[in-house]
Amino acid sequence: MRTTRSEPPVTKVDPVTSTPAAQAKRRKAPAEPERFALIGVWAVLIVAFSLVVPQTFPTAANVSNMLSSQVVLLILAIGLLYPLRAGDYDLSVASTLNLSTVIVAILNVQQGWNIWVTVIVAILASLLVGVINGVVVTVFDINPFIVTLGMGTVVQGLIYLLSDTSTISGIDRALSSAVLTRPFLGIPVGFYYAIVLVAVAWYVFDKTAFGQRLLFIGQSHDVARLNGVNVPALRLRALIISAGFAGIAGVVYAGTTASADPVSGAAFLLPAFAACFLGSTVLRIGRFNAWGTLIAVYFLVTGITGLQLLGAEQYVQQLFYGGALVIAVILSKLVRNRGERKRRAEAADPA
Amino acid sequence: MTAPAPLLAVTGLAKAFNGVPALRGVDLDVRPGEVHGLLGANGSGKSTLIKILAGFHDADGGTVTVGGTTVAGPFGARGLRDHGLGFVHQDLGLAGTSTVLEHMALDSHGDAPGRRRVRWKAERARVSELLERFEVDVDPDATIDTLSPVQRAMVAVVRAVGSQELASGSGGGQILILDEPTVFLPRHEVGLLFALLGRLRERGDAVLLVSHDLDEILEVTDRVTVFRNGRTAGTRTTEGSTRDDLVQLILGARDEHVAKGAAMVRSDRPALLSARGLCGARVRDLDLDLHAGEVVGLTGLAGSGFEELPDLLFGARQATAGRIEHGGTVVARPTPARSMDAGVVLIPADRKGQGGALGLSVLENVSLPFLTERAGGLHVDWKSLDRRAQGTCDRLGVVPANPHALFGHLSGGNQQKALLGKWMDTNPQVMLLAEPTQGVDIGARREIFALIRSAVAQGMAVLCATSDYEQLVEMADRVVVLDGGRISAEVTGSDITKDVLASAVYAEEAS
Repeated sequence: MRTTRSEPPVTKVDPVTSTPAAQAKRRKAPAEPERFALIGVWAVLIVAFSLVVPQTFPTAANVSNMLSSQVVLLILAIGLLYPLRAGDYDLSVASTLNLSTVIVAILNVQQGWNIWVTVIVAILASLLVGVINGVVVTVFDINPFIVTLGMGTVVQGLIYLLSDTSTISGIDRALSSAVLTRPFLGIPVGFYYAIVLVAVAWYVFDKTAFGQRLLFIGQSHDVARLNGVNVPALRLRALIISAGFAGIAGVVYAGTTASADPVSGAAFLLPAFAACFLGSTVLRIGRFNAWGTLIAVYFLVTGITGLQLLGAEQYVQQLFYGGALVIAVILSKLVRNRGERKRRAEAADPA
Repeated sequence: MTAPAPLLAVTGLAKAFNGVPALRGVDLDVRPGEVHGLLGANGSGKSTLIKILAGFHDADGGTVTVGGTTVAGPFGARGLRDHGLGFVHQDLGLAGTSTVLEHMALDSHGDAPGRRRVRWKAERARVSELLERFEVDVDPDATIDTLSPVQRAMVAVVRAVGSQELASGSGGGQILILDEPTVFLPRHEVGLLFALLGRLRERGDAVLLVSHDLDEILEVTDRVTVFRNGRTAGTRTTEGSTRDDLVQLILGARDEHVAKGAAMVRSDRPALLSARGLCGARVRDLDLDLHAGEVVGLTGLAGSGFEELPDLLFGARQATAGRIEHGGTVVARPTPARSMDAGVVLIPADRKGQGGALGLSVLENVSLPFLTERAGGLHVDWKSLDRRAQGTCDRLGVVPANPHALFGHLSGGNQQKALLGKWMDTNPQVMLLAEPTQGVDIGARREIFALIRSAVAQGMAVLCATSDYEQLVEMADRVVVLDGGRISAEVTGSDITKDVLASAVYAEEAS
């Protein structure tokens, strides 16, 4: 029964492709074990920590804590993927996140606005940062690296100005309960928001023309342009999206801490880039991808949490994130070179 | 007459990549005082040989003898440079914003510790003397991007010679390897480079010239070696050899021209694409009509504007004045997207930089124009795109016929076939081609001509901008010659021969 059912699609395909050799070859191509290397290392870490610190590491409380504590970073990193996919760096995301947090706090605590109105204002303000980034980059055709570095610093200055360089606490509890305290299956609900955003990003990158065009822009502006892609418009869109995600991440951050200080956002910049680059060594090697980024974020937090449970100091975080970013970049280069040699040999093989 | 002992002798050199042989034992000897041509189709092993000599790859077997002494492999990262071999690669290896002097000074302290002071005065004297000795009229302080393409090539050659002289003292007896140095040079300037090679030959140097261009090889070399499928197919004395001999050696078969067939031009209908009073950076006030069923050739000297016209017609570059009409309707402001909507497509000359994304798969590259067609851009139907790409690869004979191969791993000819297939799948009305067979081997070139002819037979109009007259002879129904941005001549039908085209192109200079 089963064999007869699988038969028709094969006969429909062009005769050349339906030869067993061609089929086997095509299916074999993506089976590169390197794609899953990080997942393997992650699994090893989990097992190792569970054996070394069995009282604290493999507990429901710790797992729930690890999953929920990274929601802000995950949302930020997923947003960052959009411009990275188009070959553009957005260095202003961390300041934008902080701006969003501070706006929520100021409007809600000091001005007494309704919390949901402040959330909308905070996200709109973040989008505005993205619009400015994108317009400067595309209209004047300036390297986004330097534009977003400058804008990020401007935004940081703005944060000091608005917050008077002080921490504002006492944000409406409604926000906290919306992102943090309402658990589902033992995990705070914010985690599920992040997963939805990851899934959306995956869909956009792999299944839509927009995602595919971003990829071409990242490869070559000329190729994209000559194929009828509106390069500036899409780069603008990607930068606005990353700023919007930073805004959302900022709101979640405000909910998580119920307060806003003017400096802590900056600490998210490097981990976000580390997660994106490390994520590009998993699943789709050499490509920034959503699920890979998710894996990278939780790989990183697993390592840090485990080491801290073993008694490591706070500085282990910097060592781990910084080291992971550099190693990720080296790894992706090495793996790509290896894969390239292999594929080149395959391509040269006329059979 | 006994032949002098070879300066460079390669015997039985073999190299395989992951079990796939690229060189199956090639022999080659280059004598002092000769320019030796190296020919072969794409993938015949020419570049592998050069890369082994330059130290990019290590040979699996065989020997290399330089000046009578056998050099044991592996050659290391510097290759055979320390044994008196100099290399000029296709991209010339020059940085646009540095000066000629800076480039040459780089060589004279190549291995020195970084703290060593550069003696600019001595360097300047050395560089000026070199340029003068080889009669290269270039200011040592000129930055590379202010030089013409042929001046750059000559600087690269003189630089290679100069760095060898530093290593082994001046005088003859050096070996210079040029890897397709003429691909990016305008035809009429190639002679300047060849004159420079002649001066090296007179000194008793040996020059190995890798090229695709048969005429060039016949013009400048003393002997020529042909590689086929990783083996030496033969070595011939250039004098007395004909094109056909060499083509037969390259292909293992005789060259056959693609039957052109009579053009079915429907000039009674409005032209598919027209330009009226078009002006660009070079093009001046140009009128042109492209009708269904014809291949229009476009040629001229470098800088005459023929290279620019396809970009202007497509909207990849904005015209400064004039208008473009699609089927009689004026297009307000042509952009690539609008042109594509109207069925006008462009295949640019710069395949690697503009034609396709090297780091993405063939499937992704050939699917780009079809992304929106499927479900309004919201959901990409990869399954059907995959089927289409597989069909395209099979139909056009792209090797490997695997849409998941990386585009950058395909040879030049296969890349071009994939790009042609991609655009033909969009059922265009007008195809604009810029140098469509540049860097493409003879076999693939013929297939590409056949594809273009069949597309034209179905009512497409093709514009082919090229400085390759032979290509125009083979496929154009009408050739438009530009000079100073204006149309200076038009040749049609059986009048299109290389001689007629050459005299039309050079007419202005001759008078």
